[in-house]
Amino acid sequence: MVLEIRDLKVKSGEKDILKGINLKINQGETHALFGPNASGKSTLVQTLAGNPRYEVTGGKILFNGVDITKLPTEERIKMGLAITWQNPPTIKGVKLSKLLDKISKRDLKPEELEVNSGILNRNINQNFSGGEKKISELLQVISLNPKLVIFDEIDSGLDIKKLEKVSKIIKKELIDKNVSVLVITHNGEILNFLKPKIINVLVDGKIICEETDYGKVLKTIKEYGYEKCRKCELHAERP
Amino acid sequence: MDMKNAENANYTQKDHEINITKIEGVEILPSKKAMEKYEWTQEYFKGEPKEGYFIWIKEQIDFPVTTCMSIASKSVSQNLQNLIIIEKGLKVKLQGMCNSIKKDLCGGHTASGKIILKENAVLEYNHFHTWGKEDIVNTDYEFILEKNSKLIYNYKIHSTPKKMKLNAEIICLENSSAKIKIIGDCENTDLEINDNITLKGKNSSGILKLRLVGKENAKILSRSRITTEAECKGHLDCQGLPIHKTAEMILIPELVCKDNQSQITHEASIGKISEEELNYLKTRGLNESEAIELIVNGFLED
Repeated sequence: MVLEIRDLKVKSGEKDILKGINLKINQGETHALFGPNASGKSTLVQTLAGNPRYEVTGGKILFNGVDITKLPTEERIKMGLAITWQNPPTIKGVKLSKLLDKISKRDLKPEELEVNSGILNRNINQNFSGGEKKISELLQVISLNPKLVIFDEIDSGLDIKKLEKVSKIIKKELIDKNVSVLVITHNGEILNFLKPKIINVLVDGKIICEETDYGKVLKTIKEYGYEKCRKCELHAERP
Repeated sequence: MDMKNAENANYTQKDHEINITKIEGVEILPSKKAMEKYEWTQEYFKGEPKEGYFIWIKEQIDFPVTTCMSIASKSVSQNLQNLIIIEKGLKVKLQGMCNSIKKDLCGGHTASGKIILKENAVLEYNHFHTWGKEDIVNTDYEFILEKNSKLIYNYKIHSTPKKMKLNAEIICLENSSAKIKIIGDCENTDLEINDNITLKGKNSSGILKLRLVGKENAKILSRSRITTEAECKGHLDCQGLPIHKTAEMILIPELVCKDNQSQITHEASIGKISEEELNYLKTRGLNESEAIELIVNGFLED
């Protein structure tokens, strides 16, 4: 098992945000995580990344069987965890190519991924379009040669063409290479391309639903919203 | 410029020992000899120069002219007067390196100079400083940009001495332009910078950029001024990045308008390293010091 989260409780400031998360991801599996605004999705991502602003008050995070709950961020990344940012910051004066050279664990040729290599010679995220930011994030995590990648809203702000392109890269460079993937998404469109094995629904700091039929979950959320999930009525007869 | 290139510089001075390599189309002399040979240089020198170089670029050359001034022995005190003249219409690159070979030589380096760009001349000048922790450095440069000339001047202080004062005065005549960037990676130093661009000529323009990093025991005082005396445009951009709790920074940007058809803008800030940027780079596997180094180098290069 690549990732196992056991009864994870997290607070930020005085506020309890994650209230006992349980999640298991095996090698090569693709999972999706759905949730409404303020459900705790970004907190979960930042906690997995080891951001010190988020305090773990209970539970454990195991990565390949090793307890990483108290490890600093860079140690987690070295073990094979990779994370994309939903709103990555600008790093002035640092070209994307320079960062890739510094962190890369594999020979990555952007042109093979059919992405515009022009962004390589620009400062990281400075005046990048929404699509360029996503490509930049993708190039960075792929170059880390990870075992598990967590995509935090990689599909937000992308039109259908760009979404397809991003999905193709994720599939070819990660999923087809047996890398585990956790896709955190709002609208779920990307799941039609990535076809996750398991879909989880996070509401009010808890995973309240774990399903294999992503189409069914998507349809339910689109039709009835998260209230249906709260009541866990997926299998119940529709009104 | 690395040390290998520095040894091959066109004008080198190690302590007080001088070596000159001839270049066709360029006259290079010690300033003292230049004053003897050319009477007209008197108006540029302040009295008789003791040391320093005279570089007169008369013809187009396709490679940079390089100078290297080094302190190599204990308690050496250099006192230089330099004069650089770029003739009309030439496009030239200059590289200057001033340094101490060791960290603890307690040297002194005082340099004043004039750089004159004749009409339509273009100069790209990269000036690097690498000092020892006990050195005392004073530099005072004046640039005169004649009609239609263009200057790009990058002044980089890679390692700061105990005490350093940098004065730079740039005078822009009609339709000339100056892009000045001063970069300082400052540690255990008392650094004072006074840099002024005076836009005297119609349609002249000047951009002055400062990037100063304050490390341990860095005390930085920088006054940057753009003055407009004609219909022209200027922009001042001063940014400080204190990364150690003992660093002190005072940045004083000044805009002086003497012509109501001119436009001067400025931006100035002093701020610590963003926590978000640090966390971001850590999620790429960099540890704290690697992430800080990357952010600091990026800040200086921006």
